Amino acid sequence: MQDFLELAVGAAASGCVYGLLALAYLLMIRPTGIINFAVGEWAMVAAFGGFLLLSKLEWPYPLGMAAVLGFMLLVGWATERIAVRPLVARGAPLIAPILALLGMLVIFREIVSISFPPDPHPVPYAFGIGRLDFGLLGGSYQSFFIIGVTLLVFAATWLFFERTLAGRMFEAVALHRRAAALMGINLFRVTALSFAGGAGAAGLAGLLVSPNISAHYQMGVPLAIQGFTALVIGGVGRVEGALLGGLLLAFAEQLTVRYAPIPSGFAQGVPLLFLMVFLLVRPTGLLKARA
Amino acid sequence: MLQLENLTASYGAAPVLQGVSLHVDEGETVALLGPNGAGKSTLLAALTGTIARRGGKILFENKNLAEMPSHEIVQHGVALVPEGRLVFAPFSVADNLRLGAVRLKGGARALRERYDHVFTLFPRLAERRAQAAGTLSGGEQQMLAIGRALMSAPRLLLLDEPFLGLAPLIVIEIRNSLRKLRAAGLSLLMVEQKLDIALDFAQRAYVLIKGRVVLADSTQNIARRADLSELYFALATSSPSAESTA
Repeated sequence: MQDFLELAVGAAASGCVYGLLALAYLLMIRPTGIINFAVGEWAMVAAFGGFLLLSKLEWPYPLGMAAVLGFMLLVGWATERIAVRPLVARGAPLIAPILALLGMLVIFREIVSISFPPDPHPVPYAFGIGRLDFGLLGGSYQSFFIIGVTLLVFAATWLFFERTLAGRMFEAVALHRRAAALMGINLFRVTALSFAGGAGAAGLAGLLVSPNISAHYQMGVPLAIQGFTALVIGGVGRVEGALLGGLLLAFAEQLTVRYAPIPSGFAQGVPLLFLMVFLLVRPTGLLKARA
Repeated sequence: MLQLENLTASYGAAPVLQGVSLHVDEGETVALLGPNGAGKSTLLAALTGTIARRGGKILFENKNLAEMPSHEIVQHGVALVPEGRLVFAPFSVADNLRLGAVRLKGGARALRERYDHVFTLFPRLAERRAQAAGTLSGGEQQMLAIGRALMSAPRLLLLDEPFLGLAPLIVIEIRNSLRKLRAAGLSLLMVEQKLDIALDFAQRAYVLIKGRVVLADSTQNIARRADLSELYFALATSSPSAESTA
């Protein structure tokens, strides 16, 4: 039991990172139907942003974090303008922007791999290294920071969709693109904002996880897969699903590493196994969209 | 008020509208008739900018809507009640109506005035304002779809088969509501398959076949033509050489 509780906070923090990545997918997929696998590269770009501003230039953490997130919103917006809008405006099928975004994924990664040496780049912790204990539950400062920030982001996103007119407009586009356009909702603006939001969520995930794994130009793809798996587990219908999926995946991963009698290298296959099982058995995810 | 000049539009490569010209005057009710696949719904989609327009003009109050995206067209006073209603099922009646007013100008006061207008016209929607739109009956959903379109304070309302699949009593109820709107000066352009309803309700009608206007007349004159259903059939199946002059 002690053993499990020791694991719990760290697993919850990983789950939060996966949840943020799943949220990034969800923000884009809901209104547009576009699966954007570049979320992993966005997380990577933000991690390098953290390296530059926080490690090299030694900006104060809140300022550096705000700058990185602001930059990511811009990156998401620009990605939509370059790789999505020109195709959608010409009436291309949905597969076209999805493929164009895979191209963007390579572009992001290669820009970073050319610009930085190939070794891992350190990114500092938000509150330094330290350990916090609440009774039996204990974990690093960073784990608690990740959990706190993620809960805030999910609460804000939930409020946005449930309580604001702009959120209703996003949902309306998700339900019926054509009817939403007839209401006077600007579909292009919703799409651009959903990509900006997606890049913001993915970038946040990258920045939060980077102190643990260091910024590296190849860090994107595993994050993209873990986030996508979390999304498939939770379902694309609801914001809470992304967090639930992320947490379930992280606990499954950590518990297998800890207790299953397999070499730890195989644990990397756990998300893929989950992905296959869920796609076969329950492709709509755990949480259903409200009908 | 509305003037279409030689409008062409297509889904993909296949042209669906092959140069349609028609007009709707202020306060008028005009019906679009024609067999399935004639391009009636496409015409309304082209008017509201939800499909690509290839050529021609859509003049509404002297502005060319053919160049505008759909979200701007709403702002200029044209609203569509789409075929199949397309209400936002998980949202409440009130939220559905609110979304209809996304482009409404005039702040909270104008918004309240629009709610009052819709709830007076359809008291049933007021009773069910907190209910999810998906749980309403078909007739109530149609009322909601019309109410939602009215929230943008349109001067021209486009209706795509508003009575399709509704019980006769509901049809009468909705028709009476539309009459009230018309009496208040709203112009209507409606697609209707059922001749008796269309000819009784509209002042003028256009018959559309294979993407062209083949007949334009007052509904009184059209009603006197006993051969109308044969005409549909004859024109729809006539030899392509007689039709493809474009």
